[in-house]
Amino acid sequence: MPSQAEARALETARVCFHCGEPVAPDLDLSVVIDGESRAMCCQGCRAVASLITGSGLENFYRQRTNYNERPESQAPPNLEAFRVYDDPLLAATFSESREDGTVEVSLLLGGVNCAACTWLIEHSMNRLPGVSQALVNLQQSRLDIRFDPAHQTLSGLFAHVHNLGYRPRPYHTSTARKQASEQYRADLRRLAVAGLGMMQVGMFAIALHAGDIQGIEENYRALLRWVSLPVAGFVVVYSARPFFSAAWRHLRRGALVMDLPVSLAIGLAFAASAWATISGSGQVYFDSVVMFTFLLLLARFLERRSQQRQLFIWSDAESSLPSAATLQRNGQWVTVPRMQLRPQDTILVKAGDSVPVDARVLQGNSAVKEDTFNGEHLPRAVAAGDTIFAGTVNVDAAVQASVLVDYKDSRLAALQRSVEMAQHSKPRITILADRIASWFVAGILLVTTTTALVWWQTVPDQAFWIALSVLVISCPCALALATPAALTNAAAALRARGIIVRTENALESLSGCTHLLFDKTGTLTQGLLTIAEVRPLGDMPGAAVLATAAALQRYSTHPVARAFSAIEEAPGGVDITYVVGAGLEGYFGDQRYRIGSLHFCREIAPDFPATPERGLYWIGLCRQGAPLAWIGLTDAERPESRGVVGTVREMGLHIELLSGDSSAQAPLLARRLGIQTVNSNQSPQQKMAHVQALQRDGAVVAMVGDGLNDAPVLGVADASFAVSGATDLARSQADFVIVDGNLEQITETLHKARQCRQVIRQNLAWALGYNLCAIPLAAMGFVPPWAAAIGMSLSSLLVVGNSMRLHRGTPCKASTC
Amino acid sequence: MQSLYLLIPIALVFCVIAIKLLLWAISSGQYDDLDKEAWRILADDDPAKPEPSTRDRSTPAPNDD
Repeated sequence: MPSQAEARALETARVCFHCGEPVAPDLDLSVVIDGESRAMCCQGCRAVASLITGSGLENFYRQRTNYNERPESQAPPNLEAFRVYDDPLLAATFSESREDGTVEVSLLLGGVNCAACTWLIEHSMNRLPGVSQALVNLQQSRLDIRFDPAHQTLSGLFAHVHNLGYRPRPYHTSTARKQASEQYRADLRRLAVAGLGMMQVGMFAIALHAGDIQGIEENYRALLRWVSLPVAGFVVVYSARPFFSAAWRHLRRGALVMDLPVSLAIGLAFAASAWATISGSGQVYFDSVVMFTFLLLLARFLERRSQQRQLFIWSDAESSLPSAATLQRNGQWVTVPRMQLRPQDTILVKAGDSVPVDARVLQGNSAVKEDTFNGEHLPRAVAAGDTIFAGTVNVDAAVQASVLVDYKDSRLAALQRSVEMAQHSKPRITILADRIASWFVAGILLVTTTTALVWWQTVPDQAFWIALSVLVISCPCALALATPAALTNAAAALRARGIIVRTENALESLSGCTHLLFDKTGTLTQGLLTIAEVRPLGDMPGAAVLATAAALQRYSTHPVARAFSAIEEAPGGVDITYVVGAGLEGYFGDQRYRIGSLHFCREIAPDFPATPERGLYWIGLCRQGAPLAWIGLTDAERPESRGVVGTVREMGLHIELLSGDSSAQAPLLARRLGIQTVNSNQSPQQKMAHVQALQRDGAVVAMVGDGLNDAPVLGVADASFAVSGATDLARSQADFVIVDGNLEQITETLHKARQCRQVIRQNLAWALGYNLCAIPLAAMGFVPPWAAAIGMSLSSLLVVGNSMRLHRGTPCKASTC
Repeated sequence: MQSLYLLIPIALVFCVIAIKLLLWAISSGQYDDLDKEAWRILADDDPAKPEPSTRDRSTPAPNDD
C-alpha cells in the first residue's frame, strides 16, 4: 500500500528523544525535558526519561553524545527477579563485606555508551539511601558501589540501575578480565616511562646538538652523554622489552615480523651510542632510540585500548538467561537462582519470560519464540511432551516443565561453544607490513654486512661507523608506523561517524573482501512485524478492520500484536480471551469476533476463504458467520537496504543472504533486493560452516548480523558488522558495531577501509623508497650522522601526516556528536 | 658551568621521583578509565534538585539530534 509506505517514510522524522528509534505515528507519549515536550517511542523509554528528569538529572540529556539504548521490557520491571541477588550465597560471588559493615559490590552494566551515562548513574546511585560511594568505570562498563546493607539491599541497587534504563549483571572477576586489566596497566607504565625518559633524554640531546653546532667542551659533552646513557638504558630495558620478546618469540619459530627490525634498530642504535659514550668517540643516538620507542608504544597502546573495551563488554550466551527461576519445591513455587536448577526439577515459565534451561513441557500449551537459534519472529507452538530450550522466550501462556539437562549440556551452551570455536578459527590475515618486514630484515642485514666487509678492506678504522650509519638510516620507524598510524586514523574517523571499530586489523581484511553476507531478520529488515496489506472480505472497510483487530490484540503479548499497537482501537470490545496457539476472541455488543488462524476463524465463520498465496504472514478476522478480512503481516525491509545492496554490488562484492528463517520470506526478500544467492533455514553452526567453506575456496568474507544465532558466524568471518539493537553476544563477536542502525554505514566503512589500504600502501612505498635511496648513500659513507637522524624523523612525520588525511571529508555526524 | 655537575644529577633525581609517582598512580588504578575523567572535569559536581523553571530560558535547545 503506497499510502502506508509514505506514512512510514514520514514518521521516520519523528524519533524517540531517549533512544533515537522511530516513533510510531499516532503514538502520543512524551516527557517534558528542559521545559520542552519530547516524544517517546514506548512506555519503557518514558519511564526512564521521567525518572531521570524527575530527579533533576536532565543535564544528562544535554551532555550525552549518543542515544540511549531502548529499555528491554516495556512492562514495568519485574523487581521480583532481582530478589535472587539478596541470596547471601549468590551475592558472595560478586560482593565483598568490609570491616566497617559496608558491602562493596561490582556490577557489569549493559547499555553504557558515553561519559554522560557514568555521570547519570553515579549521581543517581549516590542519592539512594545507604549508598556511600558509586563509581563507574566506563572502559570496563563496571559499576562499583559501596553500601550499608542495613539501609539498602542488593536487589534494590539492581532495580535502580534497571530503572535508569541500563542492564545490570553481577560482575564476576574472570582470569581473562584480570589479565586484560593487568596488561593495560603494564602498557601504560611502559608508555609513561618512555614518555618521561624521552623528555629527559631530549633535553640532553638538545644541549648536545647545540654543542655540535657552536662548540662544546669535551668534558661537558661527556657528562651529557653519560647521563643520557642510564636514562635511555632504562627505557630500552623497561619499555622496549615487548618488542624484543615478540621478535625473539617469532624468530624461534622461524618467522620474521616487524618487531625484529624494530628491536634491531633499538638495540643496535643503543649499543652503538653506549659504545660511543664509553670510548668517547663517534655519535650518540639516545634521543632517537627513546623517541622511537615512545611513538611505537603509543600507537600500540591506542590500538589495544580500543580492543580492550571489547573484552570488557565481552559477553557469553549464558548471560542472556534470567538469573532467577521459579522452582517447585515441596509443593510450593519458590524463586531460586538459576544455577541451583538440577535435572528432573519442575520449573514454571511464565508468559513473557525467558526459558532458563532446556526442559520438557509437562503441562500447559504455549508458544516459544526461538529467534535465538533461527532468527525467526514467529513462535513455535509447544504442548506437553515438547522440548523448550534455554534462551528462548515463552510467549503465550505459563507452562510447567521438567528440567532436562544442566546448562553446560544445553543447546545454548553448544551455541556458546561454537562462538569460542569461531574465535579460534578466525583467519589471521598476514599484515602487509609483516610480509615486507621479512624481506626488509634480510636485505638490511645483507647490505650492512657487505658494507662492513667492503670498508674493512679499504679503510678499516671507518668500517664500524659506516656500517652503523647504514643500520641507523635504515631504521624502520616509518615502516613500522606505516600500518598502525593509518589504521588508528581510519578507526577514529569511523568512530566520529557512529561506527565503533573494535578490531582495527579488520579494516585491512575488509578492504580486500570478496563476499558480503547478510542476515535477514533485524539486519536487512526492521526486525518487527508490520501490517503490509489488508484484504477486506466482507462489508467492513479497511480502516474499521484494523481498528477492530487492534482492539482484539490489545492485551496480547504475541509478536503479532505489536504490529497493531499504534492503531487506535475500535471502542466497545469486551470479554477478550486468548486461545493458545489459535488467536483471540472478543465481543462487540453481542457480536462475537475472532482474529487468528484460518482454522480458528472457520469455527465461527465456516465459509472463510483460503489463505492468499503471497508470501506474507496472514491472519484472519471474522464475525460470527461472516468473514471480514485477511490481514497480511510482514517484516518490512529497512528503507536503505536496497540502496546498500546495490552500492556494494557496484563495488564488486558478491552478495549473499544467510538466514535462519525457514519461511518463504527469505527468497522473496532476496528477489526484491536483487540478491541472487540465498541460503535459508540455516542453524548457527551451518552458517558458520558455510562461511568457512567459502573461506577455504579463497574468499574473504564479511558478514552483517544482529542476533545470538549470528554470533558464531560473526566470529569466524574475516570482517563482521553488528547492527544496532544487536544482542550483546553478537556485538562482542563483531569487528564493527553500527551505532545508529543505518545500513549505509556499511558502504561507508567499506570505502574507508579501501581508502585506508591505499594510505597504508603509500606509507609503505614511501618508507621503502626512502630506505632504497638513503641506504646506498650511507653505505658509501656520504651521510653524516645528523643527516641520518633528521631524515629518519622527517620520514616518520610524513607517514603520520599522510595517515591523518584519512580524517578528512568525514564530518561529524550530528546524531553522534 | 661547574654547576652542571650538581644540577643534572638533581634533575635526574626529580625524574626518578616523577616516574615512581606515576607508576604508583597507575598501579593504584587512577588511570584505569581515561575516557571518563576527561569528561568529568567539565560536568557539574552535584546537579541541583528539580528546578525546571529556571532552566527554560537560560539554555538554548539541547542538541538532541
